[in-house]
Amino acid sequence: MKLSRSLLPLAGLSALLAASCGTAGDVPPPPAPKPASPIAAALFGSGSKDEGERLFGQECAFCHVGKSTGAMMLGRRLGKDKAELIHRTDLDADYVKAVVRNGLMNMPAFSRVEVTDAELDKIAAYLARKKS
Amino acid sequence: MASLLPKGVGSTGFQKALAGFRAAIGNQWVLDSEEDRASYIDPYAMGDGLDHDCSAIVAPASVEEVQAIVRVANEIKVALWPVGRGKNLGYGAASPAEKGDVILDLSRMNRVLEVNDKQAYCLLEPGVGYFDLFRHLKENNHPLWMSVPGNSWGSVIGNALDRGIGYTPYGDHCEQICGMEVVLPDGSVVRTGMGAMQGSAGWQAYKYGYGPGWDQMFMQSNLGVVTKAGVWLQPEPEMTAKIELALPNFDDAAWAIDILCDLRRRDVIQHNIVFGSPVRAASTMSQRADWYDGPGALPDSVSETMMKKLGLGWWNAKISLFGHEGTVTAQVDLIRKLFEPKLGRPLEFELWKKGDPEEKSAQGVPTTMGLQCVNWYGGRGGHLSFAPVLPQDGTLAFNYAKKIKAYYEEIGQDYYASFTIGRRHINNVSLILYNRDEPEMVARADKLYRHLLAEAASQGFAEYRGHISYMDAVAETYSFGGGALRRLNDKVKAALDPNNIIAPGRNGIGTRR
Repeated sequence: MKLSRSLLPLAGLSALLAASCGTAGDVPPPPAPKPASPIAAALFGSGSKDEGERLFGQECAFCHVGKSTGAMMLGRRLGKDKAELIHRTDLDADYVKAVVRNGLMNMPAFSRVEVTDAELDKIAAYLARKKS
Repeated sequence: MASLLPKGVGSTGFQKALAGFRAAIGNQWVLDSEEDRASYIDPYAMGDGLDHDCSAIVAPASVEEVQAIVRVANEIKVALWPVGRGKNLGYGAASPAEKGDVILDLSRMNRVLEVNDKQAYCLLEPGVGYFDLFRHLKENNHPLWMSVPGNSWGSVIGNALDRGIGYTPYGDHCEQICGMEVVLPDGSVVRTGMGAMQGSAGWQAYKYGYGPGWDQMFMQSNLGVVTKAGVWLQPEPEMTAKIELALPNFDDAAWAIDILCDLRRRDVIQHNIVFGSPVRAASTMSQRADWYDGPGALPDSVSETMMKKLGLGWWNAKISLFGHEGTVTAQVDLIRKLFEPKLGRPLEFELWKKGDPEEKSAQGVPTTMGLQCVNWYGGRGGHLSFAPVLPQDGTLAFNYAKKIKAYYEEIGQDYYASFTIGRRHINNVSLILYNRDEPEMVARADKLYRHLLAEAASQGFAEYRGHISYMDAVAETYSFGGGALRRLNDKVKAALDPNNIIAPGRNGIGTRR
């Protein structure tokens, strides 16, 4: 079986970035939930029935849940309400996939060995679940 | 990004090798497209990273598949660069030292094969990461704790093989390895220690076996591919105590090193102790531009502002104690007695007893928070570490650090240093942060690294670990007998790996010029 291509051209990534990184509108964002402890962050998604959540917990949570480098840098760039990916309502699955495969700023790219295309589909669907 | 051939291999030979790899492990796990190769470029590369680009990636799932790959590589003379998970960030990540090597990515070999609660060990494959093992231990309620490195993204075995460290007991990771399975360069398999006996019942119980203990031969080397290893784990203690110690002045390092080293030598403190400068702490919670946007090195006055605002000392150490209640409380008393008169204030330890919330304990919890430091200068950041081994002498170590700080200032680099105190040594870590897309900053980082290497060597101190771009340079500083150790390494390499197919040039062994 050959893995399908899920890499997006960088031009596409830029467009998606612009679409997904806009600031919030006039409605004030709800207060950010209390960040998870380091142990809770390391165990995020453990035992979840949602495979996307479990895979997110396994591959991404250590940089994106609780007090973490990804959450910190996203908070600085986009505002605290957008710091933790699990609370985002503006993430598009294709955008998530493009960032994972290409990397973004200091987030390294993930290879198709580390996270297969099938696994990435599930992680992206999980992160995009709240998109209105 | 053009296609690339392994060194010394023509296009036909390379295609033959790829076909052999595909036949051995399946099309899906042999990757040679530009996009796939790009995902293996070192994210902290000094520049675009193409000087360490690979020609392809192969990702086996079993020891038999590793053997098959090694046999194909031998036949065509294609060099392989094995990585556990490829997260050796700051040392080159997954990238090979030699441009064009095929990366042998072992991250699909990610099974926790055994955890023994009573005897406190586990048997792992090299693709098991620190987060994987932590989750496995917690999900299965094993009463065992693990040591974790500052960047815990990587492989447990990979980190130990590169002699990475953690900051709780069992933090000398290479010392926790007990028994390996290794695919040798000819494709045969050997088990070390007691595992050399067919049906051994004590593979993870005793390290040395009968005759020479070979485990060290496979650390920081290129003499085989480790496909399994036993790792000793810490039985959960009855009690822990932890404290963050802030030493207010730069020159407090001298007396503090002497006290802490003595406590470490006597095993009062059972872990590698790290104490670091203000930028080390500040870079995990802020960026340089939050404090200073001027040219040159961060002035001391700005460091003092950072210290005040963030509640830091000039040096900031985490000390933890582990054991039975009586032992831990006695150790707390001893440390208070030693430090309180010097600091002029009481020390408040956070105590944890079995049954308390786990967050209060001093157990090792994997984290990637330390990677935040690469954002210090902004842009796509990276870091490079120079960490020579010094003897445990406070005055000597402090004088060395003072000289290094002066050079950081002269060259215009923010001073980021820490001392790591081991059982009989100190590493004075000079971390070099940079924005990889600013050529001037990258050139400064390179100049600084080379200066540090030469300065340390002139005082008799040598680096303990190597970044892929400096592996030969570091090896050259081990100069006794006109490089006698390097000649021995090369001789062993030539005997075991005559075609030089396993990681040529790793740690300066079998370098092809």
